[in-house]
Amino acid sequence: MSLLKRAKNTTEFGGLVLFEEVQAAMAAERALKKAGYTVRLVAPPPELRRGCDLAVAINLVEQPGIERRLREADVAYVEVRPLAGDSPEILEIVRVTDYGDWVMVKAANMKLTYEKATGKIVNTSGGGCPDIPYLHAAMLDKPVAEAPRPRDLGYTLCALMLERAHEEAIALTEGGEA
Amino acid sequence: MLLIAGTVPVADFPLTYGAVSRDGDDLVVAGQSLACTQGTGAMVSAALAVTDYLKLSPPQALLAGDIGQGQGSRVLYEYLIERISKLAPEVLALHYWLPDMNLTRRLCAALEKCPRRPLLIADAASMYSAKAAGLALQFDIFTPDAAEAAFLADPAATHPAYVRFMTYNDTERMPELIKTIHAQKNDAKLMLVKGATDYVARGGEIIAAINEPDVPLMEPIGGTGDTITGMVAGFTAAGLAPHEAAIIAARANRMAGYLAQVTPATRVGRVIAQLPAVFKQYLCQWSGVCTTGGVE
Repeated sequence: MSLLKRAKNTTEFGGLVLFEEVQAAMAAERALKKAGYTVRLVAPPPELRRGCDLAVAINLVEQPGIERRLREADVAYVEVRPLAGDSPEILEIVRVTDYGDWVMVKAANMKLTYEKATGKIVNTSGGGCPDIPYLHAAMLDKPVAEAPRPRDLGYTLCALMLERAHEEAIALTEGGEA
Repeated sequence: MLLIAGTVPVADFPLTYGAVSRDGDDLVVAGQSLACTQGTGAMVSAALAVTDYLKLSPPQALLAGDIGQGQGSRVLYEYLIERISKLAPEVLALHYWLPDMNLTRRLCAALEKCPRRPLLIADAASMYSAKAAGLALQFDIFTPDAAEAAFLADPAATHPAYVRFMTYNDTERMPELIKTIHAQKNDAKLMLVKGATDYVARGGEIIAAINEPDVPLMEPIGGTGDTITGMVAGFTAAGLAPHEAAIIAARANRMAGYLAQVTPATRVGRVIAQLPAVFKQYLCQWSGVCTTGGVE
């Protein structure tokens, strides 16, 4: 197919969106380009084929925003996979640190801290993607359960890790451990 | 000249370039106001604290609005790629923007056309794309935290979210991790790994470990890593060697947190406000820089 780029170039993008159907891949490319994302239709490497020989190469850091856009555009996809190495699973481990009056939850490079007495978010830290300072400003001083969700406002993997920390903070406060 | 490039979390913040000044609690660049909060604002504020104290020219800042979708980031990359040889900074510090391997590769190629290659500093997002694109060795200083050190040590990871063996401030394991990063060729020429102990390393070998004063309550405060990177940029622009700049920045950050009597709810602006007092009291003792005007 002439519209396909060689898969070897896709490492510059870092990730692939995989589809069951060629039409879905093409619809995804249109929807993502319209939203301003730099993406490319590619042939996935054989080990990542899912019944369709067409995938969309993405900047993996933009995975959360891209998945949200595909859901909004009602484009069915199978999954997003990183292209490098054999570690396709997103980190699930979080670590909780009790500072007495405050609790900090870490997920990968992101941290969220709330005050036990009020349940309010007092700080977020870590990361360096452009949505992180935006989320920092949006979440500060809000009760953990009422704060905007990084999954809704964020676009990057840093935001996804902040969402992991936020989820754990919600569980902790709702579980009476706040 | 020190140039700091980064995004601002305001969607319609225009592409802005100019010298940084202070207006009360805010920063001003070419008539645009920038809050001194987590992100580029904290990094620029800390660099300005250094240049102000040493009575040097203020940092130049290149800014663009971006709340995560990448448009502002791409404007910054393209501006630098096109003009970096004319801007000709002595130090270029990068941090907040959308990591993009292709644009990072083009930026590194453009740096080769500078009359004199700038000293290149990267933290977080800029470091992610440098490592993922295999360009780490082209950078002079990286300033990762513990989780980002684990990312640099993992040859397969293109972002800390995909690290296979995450390290959370495991101080005892950090020297081994620093060696691994070097073996993978994912380190810059100098590394400042921020954590419970701050490590300064070169070629996989630790050349300094800073752990005093111990202020563990600084870790939750958003922007306290940005301030370290900003100070490293400021001190290298003042003429200190990268390892000296890294050691002093790490010490000064800790001391500022100590003097600010931080809690996990403290905002980074309160830490930055302590920096002039820290420099006045300790800079001569730590660095031998006992007069203003930088290092001869």
